[in-house]
Amino acid sequence: MQFEVGPAGESAMRLAYAESPHPALTRGLLAIQQEAERRFNGALTDAVVGYTTLTLFFSPASLERDRVESWLREQAEGISSLGSDLHEHEEPAVVLPVFYHHSVAPDLEWLADNKGLSIDDVITAHSQTTYFAYATGFAPGFCYLGSLPDELATPRLATPRARVPAGTVAIADSQTAVYPCDSPGGWRLIGACPKALFNLSDVPPSVLSVGMGVRFEPINEADFRSMAQGAS
Amino acid sequence: MNYLQVHRAGIASSVQDSGRTGALHMGIPPSGAMDRCALLSGQHQLGHQQDEAAIEMAYADFVASPTETCRIVVTGAPVYVSIDQDEAQSGQTLTVGAGQTVTIKATAEGVYSYLHVSGGIITPPALNSRSTSPREGIGGLNGSYLQDGDTLPLGSNQAEADLGDPMLHVPAPAEILWLRFVAGFQYDEFADAAIKQLLAEEFTVTAKANRMGVTLSGEKLQSGLTTLLSEATCFGAIQVPPDGHPIILLNDRQTVGGYPKPGAVIASDCLRLAQCRPGQRVRFAICSPDEADRINWLEQHYLETRLREVV
Repeated sequence: MQFEVGPAGESAMRLAYAESPHPALTRGLLAIQQEAERRFNGALTDAVVGYTTLTLFFSPASLERDRVESWLREQAEGISSLGSDLHEHEEPAVVLPVFYHHSVAPDLEWLADNKGLSIDDVITAHSQTTYFAYATGFAPGFCYLGSLPDELATPRLATPRARVPAGTVAIADSQTAVYPCDSPGGWRLIGACPKALFNLSDVPPSVLSVGMGVRFEPINEADFRSMAQGAS
Repeated sequence: MNYLQVHRAGIASSVQDSGRTGALHMGIPPSGAMDRCALLSGQHQLGHQQDEAAIEMAYADFVASPTETCRIVVTGAPVYVSIDQDEAQSGQTLTVGAGQTVTIKATAEGVYSYLHVSGGIITPPALNSRSTSPREGIGGLNGSYLQDGDTLPLGSNQAEADLGDPMLHVPAPAEILWLRFVAGFQYDEFADAAIKQLLAEEFTVTAKANRMGVTLSGEKLQSGLTTLLSEATCFGAIQVPPDGHPIILLNDRQTVGGYPKPGAVIASDCLRLAQCRPGQRVRFAICSPDEADRINWLEQHYLETRLREVV
């Protein structure tokens, strides 16, 4: 696997693989992230895994940049040689209940029409896939999940909506996600999850994190209402 | 308990300390005062040692009263200060009586000013910081920019220090502000012409400037790259979206992004950029990571020396 290591500004070091995103690659990046936290301890201020990247944040006053760079290079070479080992340790998927219904999902009918599918087909396709969390960002606890079945892949809206309610399940390109809090959003909205996904007072605050498997389970309106009430 | 009653909040006032570390992986930006030197000056003058939070205001238009007598200092971009009808000085510790009104108004210079109150603003911390991240709704007062009528809890006036101004002001930028940047990210993949342009052309600070970042206008940069898979951004990252106008990412940036980036502006120059008004001319220059460290070291040394010596 080809990779490069170089500075991301004066206070971060970035490892980037020239690969298509893949769960095994992400697991490798997570393994390096954990090792970095052990190795550099408090000197590391943060570490962020992207689709094919790992960025280590530190203060150059407390940690030498050259040391981080050469360590990261060594680790990256180690991961490259691990290869297929990383395919194996799959953890059980987190299951998120979803109410797929036009009353909470303004793009559900549009999507079915656009794809020449019935609404049930859309629900089946979306809920029978196990997704993988590749990255967190955009909003607290917002996880980019891939990959959507090809028959559902859809470009995002040309103009984002000003407000998407917390819990809305959405798709864009070959990704799916749940909006953990109210925010603007340009993805297509196909359902609602009654489970709260981000709460600062929980440990950890986010239900989802990079490297997790995620599945969606269709629920009916009565269950959705009672679970939503329980969560709030 | 002592409170600060906000009568007029202005366009973008928020509670800020020096920001949070360690939350990027959850999708939460560092936030914190845009002008770190101004924050440190005020904390120093009131004898604050615990990163006490202040009120940051952009283009200040702020009016407030404490419920009990307290001491204040106003730092950052130059402003007009008055207590009731009496003119007062920014950069000096002032006493404000219970119910007296502090008015802070922007001058024609700079962007971010800070009102420090003895004891600090003690809204509940979130992830080890009181800094407001308005987009995420975290920190500060209910995670939001301040509104007219808000009431802010103040810490107790234990610190009796009344120290001089350490003079850490960010000077008004010269005709051209140089933005030194560390090359990285997609620098090698950028079209040669775009890098040449970046280094040779002049850009201008636009009105699209806020706590998230500063958008520059100038000749459009055609990176030759399409949108990439999301990866971590960093402070000062030069993000070049398809419209070709670079955005320098600052404290409230999104933690990941997919736009190509040829590098990141060093922290010291970001601080100056944040205080620039629209119309400020800027240019870019490459800076090695080692040079960035030397600049940081010198500035940190200067800062610590000033804070130690000014009593």
